[in-house]
Amino acid sequence: MTEQTAAKTESKPLPRVSPATDILEREDGFYVYMDIPGVRREDLKIDINENELLVTGRAMQGPAEKETFLEVQFGPGEYVRAVSISDLVDRENIKAVLKDGVLSIHLPRLEKASPRRIPIQTA
Amino acid sequence: MVLDFNTLYAFPGRFDRLLEDFFKPQLADGRRMAYPPLNLSEDETAYYVRSEVPGMPLDALDLTLTDKSLVIKGERPVEQGKYFRQERPAGFFQRVVALNAPVDRDGVRATLVDGVLTVILPKCEECKPRKISVDVG
Repeated sequence: MTEQTAAKTESKPLPRVSPATDILEREDGFYVYMDIPGVRREDLKIDINENELLVTGRAMQGPAEKETFLEVQFGPGEYVRAVSISDLVDRENIKAVLKDGVLSIHLPRLEKASPRRIPIQTA
Repeated sequence: MVLDFNTLYAFPGRFDRLLEDFFKPQLADGRRMAYPPLNLSEDETAYYVRSEVPGMPLDALDLTLTDKSLVIKGERPVEQGKYFRQERPAGFFQRVVALNAPVDRDGVRATLVDGVLTVILPKCEECKPRKISVDVG
């Protein structure tokens, strides 16, 4: 019985939310920060296709039984966000950390693409 | 360069999302404007104040319980770097929850899990409804 109800809530589509995202660049690469409060580590997926980084996470902060709500301004939802990434990004070394409801993704630059000085030889 | 062009391209697959965003009910009222969003609920034993405060450790949040209100204060830091896109709010925020019911002030607890703050304000014993037995004299 409980399994059935669980399956029912699972199949009901959650409202889709595009999480607030910061994209910024520092010397060691690009950083993407996403606000995904309420998403546990096991409910978060990060997929990389060719040029797209897709983040999906479920926030299951369902109301506890017996509680009556006086005011509701957020609720369960599915966070979905895609970010295009360029060829300059080293796909093998992408790191993602989830802490306090913020997902931070570090996209390091490819070694060969980082700026360097070209030594000049005297002929 | 990392750029989020997806929102700019008129991608056929994104059209449904556009409609979805357009009909989003919570954007119709102005309540989403207040930051951070709050959920207020109660059961028989306590009041619950829940709030989405991503990126804040519990010690960076300032919770004050006054006579008639609960104040949630904090500051979200700004990341250093060259921004391509900034959607996350930054800076000071404050929300005041008016408490029009007596609570057990010593039993108030706050937890923070995955960026969701939960403050539990137990109802005080004296204010719970009680049955009064009537003795027939």
